[in-house]
Amino acid sequence: MSPMTTITLPARIDSLPRGLALVVECATAAGFPPQRVIEIELAVEEALANICLYAYPDRRGEVEVRCLQDEMRYFSIELIDSGIPFNMLARPAPDFTVDATQRPLGGLGIPLIRALMDNAAYHREGAQNILRLTALLPL
Amino acid sequence: MELQIRDIANVRLIHVAGRIDHTTVQSFHDLLLPQLTDCAGETQKALLDLNGINYMVSGGWRVLVLAMRQCQQQQGEIVLAALSPFLQKIFPMTHFDTIFKVFDTIPAALAHLSPTAASLYSGAE
Repeated sequence: MSPMTTITLPARIDSLPRGLALVVECATAAGFPPQRVIEIELAVEEALANICLYAYPDRRGEVEVRCLQDEMRYFSIELIDSGIPFNMLARPAPDFTVDATQRPLGGLGIPLIRALMDNAAYHREGAQNILRLTALLPL
Repeated sequence: MELQIRDIANVRLIHVAGRIDHTTVQSFHDLLLPQLTDCAGETQKALLDLNGINYMVSGGWRVLVLAMRQCQQQQGEIVLAALSPFLQKIFPMTHFDTIFKVFDTIPAALAHLSPTAASLYSGAE
């Protein structure tokens, strides 16, 4: 895949608007309709927020947001950080069989990411966490 | 993100509009929950009009669950109405459909909550 564009930001919640602005710009340029761009933005926000909150528990760090598109129909966003080994996709999903009023709050972000994106994958490369979220471009 | 409050008979109608993301979700929490302090029994019921929410992160759903729990603890009733197209798409993914009563329109929600409020509601906003 050839990178379309990338930005590296402090891994803090107040970095989210800049990271998401890049994703919206790239997804729009790739040809997704506005409603689909919002869905992709939401999935990325959920993932980015998790990185900002959990990847660097005892120090400051950065996160890179990278948009890629291949020659087929795949548009991907890679979120890359150098924090602790952290695979948010491996967290157990909320138990949706439990009465929702009793269900622990939180943990809804990951099911949303999986439902909104066509694919979500994590791997660790050296000292980096790499989360790739992929959306299929419409025909 | 903004809230507008309108009391109609014994129903507190709360319009929520705008974007609820990680920069605004705490404000959503801090603005909404105090509006439900008196939601109890027949004295006051709550209706959240969500038509104006064009974007909401998972934390926003958490605030709605907290609102539901608060009203339940007070033996009060709270319902949702007029979900925006965005929320209609996301709502099934949350699996919260078993705990929230959702109505397509405000008049329908008012008819459920309070016939008096329903008859007073002009619909002109």
